[in-house]
Amino acid sequence: MTTAGMAHEQALQALEALALDALDANERVAVLAHVSGCAICQQEVIALQVTASQLAYAVTPVPMSSVQRDRIRTRLAGRVAADRVHSPEVHPSASSVILIPHPEHAAHAGRHWFESPSSWLAMAATLVAAVSLATLYQVTKERDSIQRTYQYASVRTAQADSLRAVLEDRDRLIANLTGPQVAVVTLTSDGIRAPSARMFWDQAVNQWTFVAHNLPAPKTGRTYQLWLVTAKDKINAGTFSPDAKGDAVVRATYNLPKDALAAVAVTDEPSAGSPQPTTTPIIVGANSTR
Amino acid sequence: MPPDDAALIRRMAGGDEQALGIFYDRWNSLVHAVALRILRQSDDVEDVVEETFWQAWRQANRYLATRGSVQTWLLTIARSRALDRVRAVKRLREEPLEGESGDALVQQVSEGDASTSTESNERRVIVLAALSELPAEQREALELGYYNGLSQSEIAERTGQPLGTIKTRMRLAMQKLKGRLQILREDAR
Repeated sequence: MTTAGMAHEQALQALEALALDALDANERVAVLAHVSGCAICQQEVIALQVTASQLAYAVTPVPMSSVQRDRIRTRLAGRVAADRVHSPEVHPSASSVILIPHPEHAAHAGRHWFESPSSWLAMAATLVAAVSLATLYQVTKERDSIQRTYQYASVRTAQADSLRAVLEDRDRLIANLTGPQVAVVTLTSDGIRAPSARMFWDQAVNQWTFVAHNLPAPKTGRTYQLWLVTAKDKINAGTFSPDAKGDAVVRATYNLPKDALAAVAVTDEPSAGSPQPTTTPIIVGANSTR
Repeated sequence: MPPDDAALIRRMAGGDEQALGIFYDRWNSLVHAVALRILRQSDDVEDVVEETFWQAWRQANRYLATRGSVQTWLLTIARSRALDRVRAVKRLREEPLEGESGDALVQQVSEGDASTSTESNERRVIVLAALSELPAEQREALELGYYNGLSQSEIAERTGQPLGTIKTRMRLAMQKLKGRLQILREDAR
């Protein structure tokens, strides 16, 4: 029995390392591709994953100091309270592009297969947000007292909303990459710079997250366009440009039946995008999980 | 009678802040220990503890009892957040788990810990006992993967062993542990 190019027996041998998050990137992709279509492996890896998680119990419990414990409790309370005060919904557009901050981070982006890593930037934002939001909550309660406090709160609100949007977006991204119903399509190319990419399709919420590396910069007046290819259509999933290192992330929301996706492709198009592809894909990947 | 973890998670999923407080009080020592074991630096450890409970709060509605106990889920989050930090700053620790030898692990088993719950101590005893039964080289591969976040290739490079040897050791270790720790899965609340 084979799925996505890796034999069942071969994948089975790697499930322990997968559960420990100890596979190298390429092998991990191949094993995951098999597991996504193999009920036997899915069941086994869940059991192994639980086993791996239980290793945490081997550490000797180390109580925090009361100061540390209270400090964290206060920050958590502040974040929870602020979360209640401000609950804007963030809806990333189909063409929104988030540049990967650093290749090292990108290299590890797939290491946790059920718990994705977060960036330093996001973590820094988390800490800043915790302080800002906690302060904001207090200020908000008193803002009727004096105008200056109100103005201050307004400024902080904008800052906090911005940071919160970052955090919400990060949390959503983690869920879209690691959810139980995420299908992964690997795109490849034989170009000189060997671009590569993966599409994560969170079928539970129809969220698509496309991550690409080594893409050459598009020529002036041109852009890249992402397509979801079905038997009947080539669906526009947005235009994007990579950063200086050739990395890019495109996120889109599109409702597609689970068995409809045949492939994912990227073409070079005019900067405004095209209603249908006008060039040969520079990178393409078939959906092997159908 | 205090609420069990599953009940707390349900309450947290419903937005009950008090449940988060109880949950935090119950498990902060163990989460702190996991973060400290992986990071060994106090500033980051505190941040990881906070991030762990924040994620538990935000994702309480995603907890699946079929995937293990609440404690296991929480410690998985803690490990992941800690490894994110380790990988981000490239300061992986060289030291193996304290009590590397089987004898030392057995000694830890007998010590227990009064600061955490009886159930948590029981789990720790069972896990340490299972680890102590593994050959040292299998335990080393396991620990470098789990606590240091190393891939099999990185472990092979670090230990000077062939990659195939590391794969075999890790596989055997996990299969043995899976059998030994089955009792924890059956006890999961």
